[in-house]
Amino acid sequence: MTLAAKRLGCGLAWVCVTLLAACSGSSTQALRDFQMQTPRPFGYVIGDTIPQRIVLETRAGMALERNSLPTPGRLNRWLQLNAVTVQELAGSDGKRYQIDLLYQQFYAPLEVKALSIPCFTLRFQQQGQTLEQPVAAWTFTAAPLRELVVRQDQHGEYLRPDQAPPLLDDAVMVRRLYVALTVALGIALRLAWLYGYLPGLPKRSVFKRAQRQLQTLGLPQLPQALAALHTAFNGLHGKPVFLHKLTEFYQSHPEYRSIADELAWFFDYSNRYFFADASIQSQEQDLQKLKAVCRHCREIERGSR
Amino acid sequence: MIRKLKHWLLWASLAVALLVTLTQLLQLYGLSGQNRLIGQLLAGQDVGADELATSAPEVRMARAVYLSQHQRYDEALATLNLLLQQAGAEAQAHTRYNLGNLYLRQTMQKAEAGNINEAMPLLGLAKQAYREALTLDSQFWDAKYNLEVAMRLLPEMDRISSGDEQDDLSQKTQLWTTLPGFPRGLP
Repeated sequence: MTLAAKRLGCGLAWVCVTLLAACSGSSTQALRDFQMQTPRPFGYVIGDTIPQRIVLETRAGMALERNSLPTPGRLNRWLQLNAVTVQELAGSDGKRYQIDLLYQQFYAPLEVKALSIPCFTLRFQQQGQTLEQPVAAWTFTAAPLRELVVRQDQHGEYLRPDQAPPLLDDAVMVRRLYVALTVALGIALRLAWLYGYLPGLPKRSVFKRAQRQLQTLGLPQLPQALAALHTAFNGLHGKPVFLHKLTEFYQSHPEYRSIADELAWFFDYSNRYFFADASIQSQEQDLQKLKAVCRHCREIERGSR
Repeated sequence: MIRKLKHWLLWASLAVALLVTLTQLLQLYGLSGQNRLIGQLLAGQDVGADELATSAPEVRMARAVYLSQHQRYDEALATLNLLLQQAGAEAQAHTRYNLGNLYLRQTMQKAEAGNINEAMPLLGLAKQAYREALTLDSQFWDAKYNLEVAMRLLPEMDRISSGDEQDDLSQKTQLWTTLPGFPRGLP
């Protein structure tokens, strides 16, 4: 059965048998070329399609009359014409036509039986004159699918069962899910890196630690607050950062240039607080400004500024 | 400014990706529910009408198969008729094939009960459904087989006497002229 199915499955493959015009005579002179290309003439079963191709070339000034082609639909009780397509190509002198006909046969023979696709006549117009070209009938053999003796099963005569629907395919959804999850995971990792949540990257969270320290400190602990911020800058830069070395700091960390004024104020204030005379009076607003500097540094550190 | 924009774009992308993930998870959950219904119906267990109301065509097809297996032909017919307009040539061919099976089973039951007058139109409908299925998919082997079963049920209607292949449309006329009961040989 499998072998037979394979053989029959090849029905659409063109085993081209080129037949010259069956009917010769004066009408063939109207055409330069007439070929009928047909598939194998045997081994068809009920429901099979039979493609036929007619290739012809007319002389100059001739045109195919389209309504002389068979109309798609049921031709007789067992034969159906599913499609007719006409391709018109420019020939050397006249026109070249490629007519594709797709038949489907619904005959259920009891044994191998010869059947014929009926002939028809193509008509051409040439300066008011009508010329005709017959297309010969084509004979093929059809074979049965079932044995002669009726096969029985528990429900009576054996029938092929109903077609169960396939399970709904979730492949597209699963693929989309994986893609979305991968993208989400990638972005989450990137954000975790930016925010210093990944272990083993202490430089990504120097201002985060400093900010945490500063939150607990009040005005009396201003020296510790200044020291915490200095530690953060030193830790980020890898060596001590001073007011006069800020340019060097900006070269290796250009993103901090956007708050250059605030950093200049911080280093200047720190210098004055630790090394200038003790006349400087620490005020609450200085501490708040210090915290703002630290917050801005933290924003730059995590990429949101 | 660009750094800030890039940073918030990152957050927005994360939100979109998480939203897509969530949507797909929900859709997968819904799909597995539909597949469970299909499996249940094909295993021979009915499902409630409320579950079918918003279900996919495949689920309704599975229900039609279930109803047909349980000889609930009218309900199966109503379900299949609703599915005739669904998209996709393959699904349409399968619907028509199942419709053909439905008619053919009924034909066989009527014929066995000796109710030929009711069996005949059903057989015609079965053949028509199989033919439509095969027009949509000429490689549909189950439809070919069952159409042949249907054709053989009333062989005298479908045989072509040798030498008469091309004149099938006049068969109907011949049939009437050879109907029994007509007096022959009268003047």
